[in-house]
Amino acid sequence: MLVHDNERQRRTGVAAWVRRGLEVDAKIFYIEPMNERPERSLTRLLDEYGVEADASLASGQLQVFEASTEVYSPAWQDKVSQEALAAGHPTVRWSGEAGTAWSVMPPATHVDVEWATDRLCEEQPISILCQYEASLPQATLQTACAMHGSGLRETQLWTLLIPEGIALAGSVDASNQRTLRSALVAATAVTEPESSFVVDLRDLEFLDVAGARAFLTGTTAHRIRRGTVCLRSPRRGVESMLRLLRVDVADGFDVQGE
Amino acid sequence: MEGSGTIQRGRYTHDVLLHENDGELIHATKAFVTEGLEAGGNVLVHSSEDRVELFKGVLGSHPRLTYGLDQDLYLTPSSTLFAYQRQLAEEPSTTDLWVTGTVPLGEDPADHAKWARYESLVNEVLSPYPFHALCTYDTATLPESTIAAAKATHPCISTGVERSMSTEYQDPAGFLTDALAEVPAPPDVRPTASMNLQRLEHLAYARSLVRRTAVASSAVARPAIDNFVAAVNEVLVNALLHGGAPARLVFWVEPAQLVCRVTDNGRGTCDPVAGYRYPEPDGPRGLWVARQLCENIFVSNVPDRGCTVLLFCT
Repeated sequence: MLVHDNERQRRTGVAAWVRRGLEVDAKIFYIEPMNERPERSLTRLLDEYGVEADASLASGQLQVFEASTEVYSPAWQDKVSQEALAAGHPTVRWSGEAGTAWSVMPPATHVDVEWATDRLCEEQPISILCQYEASLPQATLQTACAMHGSGLRETQLWTLLIPEGIALAGSVDASNQRTLRSALVAATAVTEPESSFVVDLRDLEFLDVAGARAFLTGTTAHRIRRGTVCLRSPRRGVESMLRLLRVDVADGFDVQGE
Repeated sequence: MEGSGTIQRGRYTHDVLLHENDGELIHATKAFVTEGLEAGGNVLVHSSEDRVELFKGVLGSHPRLTYGLDQDLYLTPSSTLFAYQRQLAEEPSTTDLWVTGTVPLGEDPADHAKWARYESLVNEVLSPYPFHALCTYDTATLPESTIAAAKATHPCISTGVERSMSTEYQDPAGFLTDALAEVPAPPDVRPTASMNLQRLEHLAYARSLVRRTAVASSAVARPAIDNFVAAVNEVLVNALLHGGAPARLVFWVEPAQLVCRVTDNGRGTCDPVAGYRYPEPDGPRGLWVARQLCENIFVSNVPDRGCTVLLFCT
């Protein structure tokens, strides 16, 4: 899941994602809106970022589809993914903007599709990069975070679901604390009452006041259900911020060092 | 004026004792400690090691009387101020806290101003709490300016037995604009780096700029740099959210000092003592946290322009 603040961030993220896919000989499927404007097309984007893709487009390693209900069918996506794997590609990559999907189906239907494709990723060497605008409503982002079991990546924050909870890497500040809050709400929504939810902080490099508050607001429901939140292995600066704001002694919280 | 006369239990008092010799010091300290213990308070006497031994010999022991060393309790003005605030706000007690001693002014008179600012800010930070202080100053050895600052930062002058209002007292916001406070100015040289921030998304780059430049060009310890970067981040967030874009960041790196100036584009007035009081449960905390991460932060208002915040790290 790619959460972007602006078009430049989106284009940078997509270009890096395609470049990496081509390097590892992945089959890449990209879904664009019908009648996409040339300046927003994938081919223009790759050209702008110097990603050499002409040969891959000609060979079919990189395929661009126009959005339709058919290309969002999990059964069809599974079928063409299996064909690509059978043809010898070690992995398959899918990407498109959430807004593209919403141009051919209601957001509620898209949610069902996302759940189904997330299961595909769990069972096969398939990865899907869904592109979401950070300015979307909080509820939409929370749903999106919940649908992407493998985590999300934003300009400066990466999350990964782990068996006991969630791992964070990068930085959280006032610009992206909503994304962290959404990820925590989504991840704790499926926890058992009175269970312990771990947030692994060893790779979180920076946390500010707004970010620390997201730990509180993003886990409220879990703690109301008498669950606990273990903030594990924070770095010195992150731990200092948590203690200054007394998150470490808030109801249901525990900070654990290495 | 409230504060003169008898020390009232459950209230805040901050007195200065101006003494000429050890006899006056011991007499007043003994009176203050006795009054505190008789009022049911917890009493702390702090000083240097040799002075603490002197006081122990005179005052003896009591279950509610403790002795503390300045080297443990008074490391820096900011850490001392917020340690008292956290103790009083986060571990509220029905028992008043009585504290007496001399702040560790140090040998260099140039350092006295930072403790004078501390003494003034005590009135802002600790006044909501049942806290009583008798701060002792030796008029025989300390410079006149230090004694003048002591009179300007303590609402009452005490002999240990009698108290009277200090006619030279100034409230903290006023004192910070007085020459006695010696608020430092940014270096009078070309800045090392600068940038304008239009949006919160620019924070990461600003932090990176400050951190990289400081690590590369100063001898300031890394943990102090990290704290400084976090403090600058909070001030920038305030500038963008509560002031107005663009937020202007100007940065000076010297071998032993980092200085940052943040100016916003707002039109509001700025409170020089903002961010000192213990925050309300859902109140803003950015500047309060920043002040605990960075020893010296000064907020001022430039007419017809926005709010200016100066941050110093040594």
